[in-house]
Formats: sequence, structure tokens, C-alpha cells
Amino acid sequence: MAEFIQLHMLVSYPPSNLNRDDMGRPKTAMMGGVNRLRVSSQSLKRAWRTSEIFKEALGGHLGVRTKEMGWNIYLALRGGKALADVVDGKDAAAVRSPVEEKKAVAWGQAIAAVFGKLKKIESVTTEKDKKDSLCVEQMVHFSPDEIVAIDGLLAHLAESGGDPSENDLALLREENSAADIAMFGRMLASSPSFNCEAAVQVAHAVTVHRVAVEDDYFTAVDDLNRGVEDVGAGHVGQAEFAAGLYYAYLCINRDLLVENLGGDEDLVDRAIRSLTEAAAKVGPKGKQNSFASRAYASYLLAERGSQQPRSLSVAFLKPVGGDDYLKAAVAALEVTRENMEKTYGACARECRTMNAGAGTGTLDEILEFVSGDHA
Amino acid sequence: MPEYLLFRLCGPMAAWGGVAVGEYRPAESHPSRSAVFGLVAAALGIRREETAPLKRLQESYRMAALVNAPGNLVRDYHTTQVPSETTKKQAWPFATRREEVSLPRDDLNTILSTREYFCDALYTVCLWPAHDATPYPLSALAEALRGPTFVPYLGRKSCPVFLPLQPQVVRADNLRAAMEAAAFPDQEMLKPLSREERGMLFWEGEDETGFEAEGRQTVRRRDVALNRRQWQFAERKEYGALVRVPEAVR
Repeated sequence: MAEFIQLHMLVSYPPSNLNRDDMGRPKTAMMGGVNRLRVSSQSLKRAWRTSEIFKEALGGHLGVRTKEMGWNIYLALRGGKALADVVDGKDAAAVRSPVEEKKAVAWGQAIAAVFGKLKKIESVTTEKDKKDSLCVEQMVHFSPDEIVAIDGLLAHLAESGGDPSENDLALLREENSAADIAMFGRMLASSPSFNCEAAVQVAHAVTVHRVAVEDDYFTAVDDLNRGVEDVGAGHVGQAEFAAGLYYAYLCINRDLLVENLGGDEDLVDRAIRSLTEAAAKVGPKGKQNSFASRAYASYLLAERGSQQPRSLSVAFLKPVGGDDYLKAAVAALEVTRENMEKTYGACARECRTMNAGAGTGTLDEILEFVSGDHA
Repeated sequence: MPEYLLFRLCGPMAAWGGVAVGEYRPAESHPSRSAVFGLVAAALGIRREETAPLKRLQESYRMAALVNAPGNLVRDYHTTQVPSETTKKQAWPFATRREEVSLPRDDLNTILSTREYFCDALYTVCLWPAHDATPYPLSALAEALRGPTFVPYLGRKSCPVFLPLQPQVVRADNLRAAMEAAAFPDQEMLKPLSREERGMLFWEGEDETGFEAEGRQTVRRRDVALNRRQWQFAERKEYGALVRVPEAVR
């Protein structure tokens, strides 16, 4: 038996095309014999994993975001100083013997390259070129743990005088617990030792009602066409879109997440909180510039328990109708949950709801409820 | 009288993977042996790499699956952004997905796949002992399905179930009598699914099923999982026939 945290959400998107098939049409599915809009689980996961919320929560609040870590490593090696002191800009005393110029540059580059692609410098003639050659192209977020790990490697290199091995460099990344991989898993046929069984299950989100995908016929005017020869449009196109209220479901296997994160309970809670927050606030960004379809969840039900998890999409097998989809969907969801508990016995130990449509419950309460090991 | 374990598989989408070698990831019309035993093993807490207990589990029970509602086929066009091979070697390992896709655009490629799913499908699965020395009594399997270690799903992880599996152990003379003796209290909720009086039944073993089977066929399916790491599957013989669906599981 494991502890499962299940999230059931209702999210309304205005006309949009969040997740497209090979024809550029919004993805669909049949449910209860009628056509629905669908957003694949993969698309949802990508939106959450690449969100600012994840980055803020899991990148380490006190980390350093920089392109210049390689340069700082070089300075630390040259001066025999602790990396944290150099990063903080402190004029601290040396803690080990300085490393010669050539090695400091080579090691700085090797370590920086673990975290990002190095800038391409044709030939190093000035001090500025040297600094650039030690910088990566993209910003990298370094957690305090990573800085400590790098410093450990620097001490080892300074003492042994040998170049960092591939193993040394790989270890640097393992110091940084990858919460999103622990949640969503990874399968690599080429190196199975890096595989990880996902602790979070995400269903495809499907609308609670019948949907017809519509065609948007659009034209674009050529500003410099003065209508002398031709008054037609400069461009004619067509785009498919649809709007809908989606039911989204995900299930977190808390025990497996704890295991995947090596028992780091604090990180587990942060991961669960940020996932819940991202799920409530972040959606796929497909065709965002054409539709600006950003939406927050209107309703969220969170459950905890060790009973066999189940989604509540059975509530929407019969498509929701009427003139208030949200109200009807919330009612269908809650009635189904109650009936299921009556029929099968408890399906979860406890639950919390938040209903932005009715203004009841808060996301903070939900976050408090889902995080922590309060079995 | 022999014992049978019955449970029900239903959710908005299901994907019982067929033979997939490249971009196209097909789904079969009914649960594969690897999926069903994977689900039971997951409930018991047996991991994918634990080859010996998995083998023992699979060898100890026979399986039948009744397709109560065949569902509709959906093709999902699936794209994934990945770093190019050379970049991957240079920058490996990536700590997060965010980091992997924030590489410069030129370093990212897209891999494609087309995945099949069935929507609106409903299946009744039945397991029974293949010999006397089974590692678990059927009641222990039922208990694990009620309070599983890893979540159950319908073939792919993105396909959750939408009702409890309702595992139940019954004593009966044959497969048909076992299905007659089952009780699934959710018929009302599943009304919108299209179900016929007759459905396809797939079973293994030479035992008498008790069903009047129309147009019985024998199918060879390569779905006995042998080794996950090496992705090896053995072939088995499965019988299929159109049968009258017993009232109790209709």
C-alpha cells in the first residue's frame, strides 16, 4: 500500500488550439460516444515542467543564476580560494594552493560545460576573451548544494593535479536532485541506470461536454496594396480552434516520490506543492499569441489515501449540457464522488476542494493539504 | 470447485500496446497478458526489473478477458523535443526537463510518434490458478488491487481507470459460471458506453469455459513479458470467440 494524492481539476479554456495533431487541428477524443476536445498528458506535463513555478520551487530559492560560473571557478582555482567566497564576491583568504593558469582555464571550461554549452571563442588574445571562453551561452541556476559539490571537486583537483574525469563531472549533476525526473520519470534504453519510474500519473485532459472544432477563416491585408490593380487580401488562411471546459486528473504516488528523491522529505513536499500549483495555474502554450488562452483551474478537488486511485471522468461519460457548464460539471463530479463512496466504500481517506466559480476554498489550503506527510 | 479472480478495467482511454518497432505505436483491441500481469505485479509492489517474481507470477495464473465495450480508436500525434545526439553527449546529464529544452534552438530536434488508444472501452478480466503452487492465493491478489503499491493503469500510464477495479474471488465450475457469479455495482454509471449482448472473449488454456463460442479462433500473441531491460516477449496461444455476455457483467 502506498499513499496516493489525487487531483481532479476543471479548467475552462476560451477559443484556442492548445495541443495540435499532425493536421494542425486541436486534438480530440470520443467519450461517452460524443466528440470531445483533448489535451495530451505529455503536453500538460511539458507545460508544468518548464514553468516558472517549477523553476522557482525546485531550482533552489537561494541559488545563483549566472552564465559566469566557469569564470568564477577559474578565479577560485587561480587564487586557491573557496568557490562560495568567489561567487559571493568576498575577498577571503586562500584555503588551498593556487592552480597554474592553463589548468585553471581547462578545468573551469570542463566544469562549466557540464552545465551549459560554452560560448565559441575563435582565439583568446585579451583577458575578456579568456573570460568569455569560460562562460556558457544560457543562464544556469546553481543551487547551494551544487556550488558545494563543485568546490569539493576543485579541492580534489587542486590536490591531485589531474584533470577531472567523466565520472567526476557526472557526479556534479547527481548532487542536484532532479525533482521533475522523480515526478515524471525517465527511460533511456542506452543507459538504464539513469532510468526512473514516474511517481506522478497524468491523464489526458478531456472536455466535459460535446465539442465541435471550428474553422477560423482569416485574411491579412497588405498595407502597401493601394487597390490600383487588385483589392484582394494579401494572405488568406484557415485555422482550427475550439473552446471547452476540461476535466484534468493526476495522481501522485507519494511513497514512490520519496524513494525517487532519496528520502528528502522537504524536497518531496516542495515538489508536490509546486506540481499542484503549476497544475492549477499553468496550461499548454500552443498558439498563445493567436488566442491568449491562459487559464487557471476553476475547481480543484484533492484527495489523499491509500485506496486504489481512480479518476472521476466517469462523471462526464454523459456530456454536460445546459447553460452553466461549470456549475453542472462541479455538481456531476461531486455527486459521482459521493455515489462512488456509497457504492464501493471510501475511495480516499480525506479530501479538500477549492471552487473559484463559487468563491469557496483557497489554493493555499489545497497546497497545505497535499504537502506534508500527514497520513 | 476452482476459484476465479475477476476485476473490471475501464477508463476514458486505454492502450494495450501491440508490436511497435518505430514511430507507430499501435494498440490492440483487448488487454495484453503483459499489461494485466504488469498491473497485478504493480499492485503487489513487484518492480519491473524483478524478473524472477514476475516470471513466477505470470506462470502461475491463466487469464481471460471479455470485451464488454470495444470503444473507439483514437490516433494521437505525439511530438517530443530532444537535444541532438552530439549536444546530449556534451551536456549530459540534464537535471530537469526545463534545462533540456532551454538549449539553443539549433541544438534541439523533434522526434515523432503516432500512438493509438481506445476510448470508451470496458473489459472484464479473469485470472485463475494454472497449478497448485501459486505464489499468492487469489484473495491476496484482490487485496493488493484494492490497496496497490503502484497505481494501476490501462496499458499506458496516461490512461487511469475511472472506477475501482472491484476485484472479487468467486468459486465456480467454469469461466462462464464465474462471470455469472460476479457483481459489479456500477452498471448505471457506465450506461453511456456502447455495449452489446454479445462480445469477444479471449482466454487461454484448454479447460472448458462453459461458453457457447461462435467462430472460435486461435491467435498467437507475443505478449508474455520475459525481460524488461532487454524488451523480450514470448509468444502464447490465445483463443477468441464471440460469446453471449453473462448478465452479471453486462
